[in-house]
Amino acid sequence: MSGLKINGLDKRYRIKDRWVNAVSNISLSIPEGQFVTVVGKSGCGKTTLLRLICGLENADKGSIRLTNGELNTVDRQISMVFQEPRLMPWLTVRQNMLFALHKEKDRNKAGARVDSLLLMLGLTEFQDAYPSQISGGMAQRTALGRTLCFDPNIILMDEPFGALDAFTRRKLQLELVDIFFNHKKTILFVTHDVDEAVFLGQRILVMENGRMVCDQLNKLPYPRNPLMSEFLIVREKIIKTIVDS
Amino acid sequence: MKWVKRFVVIVLIVTAWGFCSGMGLVNDYLLPHPWKIAALVWSLITKGILWNHIQVSMWRVFEGFFITFCLAFPLAILVGMNRLCLELLETPLEFVRHIPPLATTPLLILWLGIGESSKFAVIVLATFFPIFLNTVNGVTRCDNKLIEVGQALGMGPIQRIIRIVLPSALPVIITGMRLGFGYSWRALIGAELLAATAGLGYMIMEAEELARPDIVLVGIITIGTLGHLLDHVFFGLSSRLIPWQEMEQNHVGS
Repeated sequence: MSGLKINGLDKRYRIKDRWVNAVSNISLSIPEGQFVTVVGKSGCGKTTLLRLICGLENADKGSIRLTNGELNTVDRQISMVFQEPRLMPWLTVRQNMLFALHKEKDRNKAGARVDSLLLMLGLTEFQDAYPSQISGGMAQRTALGRTLCFDPNIILMDEPFGALDAFTRRKLQLELVDIFFNHKKTILFVTHDVDEAVFLGQRILVMENGRMVCDQLNKLPYPRNPLMSEFLIVREKIIKTIVDS
Repeated sequence: MKWVKRFVVIVLIVTAWGFCSGMGLVNDYLLPHPWKIAALVWSLITKGILWNHIQVSMWRVFEGFFITFCLAFPLAILVGMNRLCLELLETPLEFVRHIPPLATTPLLILWLGIGESSKFAVIVLATFFPIFLNTVNGVTRCDNKLIEVGQALGMGPIQRIIRIVLPSALPVIITGMRLGFGYSWRALIGAELLAATAGLGYMIMEAEELARPDIVLVGIITIGTLGHLLDHVFFGLSSRLIPWQEMEQNHVGS
């Protein structure tokens, strides 16, 4: 397991003749095994932050390190669940999960790992289906299973439940909390839904215009109830921070 | 029912042809009765003449197609994955693409002789572009989001090409191969019409010289039938290789 240390991270994009700061001077330390949610309005730089951490884009300035060494995806230290499932259309659900185990030489071991994750995510019955044959919820579950197969130390999640209906979303949120406690991963979860951020995170970061404007611990016990007064207090505080910033 | 529909028009044409021929509405020498053509086909098959010409033509097509694939496929991957290569080769390839392969036949005969090499060269020219352009298209249009998944799962550039880019481009590559195969078949017959000592094109050319329109018709029917059969085989093969595409189409349709 490992945590994350981000120092003075900057990323700018050129749009026509002007430069836009997507991520601006972000410094952050995430201890290993912490569930962190990042919340903010659309376009505040949340996704860019994750893409920089995952190495999908290069930062203009600053550094990203693991608490126990250099950061890279090759050594299974970090991986990402995207906003859309991004499943390979030519592979079945099972093959999509096996896809993450491309480095595993022992195919029996890889198969057993996929089988256990299929069971855990309730996908065993659909393992031979192609992505076009399953629902959005199942596809996102497959994408989560693929990342869990890869078994990274740190999982980055970019609004993975954003396109799902409320029932499926809540079900997957509960499953994710279970996975977090069973697999002991460091999770950085991006969302624009304040309820989701409070429901999931042990720590909530608020971003606005590429900057981190709030960093708050959320000590509510799991499983959380969004109707509890304590939950609503935290939620209101986060909303006020976003509105005020 | 689907199969019946496919043959309705053909049966109607042959019936009309037989009727016109039987009633003496057309010159029997210029357009012999379908039964006479059927009898001639049977006679050419039993004597081994037709099979011999088919074998020669098929061998040329398969060999030419294989050579082309070995040339076009790796080059297309290289060009598709490398922007500089694409820019360097775009103009010369566009120039060559617009030249009909048969227009080069006189030069090819002059350079390579009347033997097999010139015919292979015509097939290569005809088949190259459908395979090359479709493969380049498939490779360059691979969804970058899928490539990012490979990156997020720790795959290197080569692995990303093998495990993501190529499978994603496979439907387009197979379409290119299917088109290329059809083009090579047509180009070969053209080349055999100009210079050959065996093959279906040669059979037609020889029949013209012997004033045998019935044999010309047999040649035409054989070429059409074989082309259709081979295309059907390719289609069946592509359905097996890319089953997910059919599922996607069904899903969109539902």
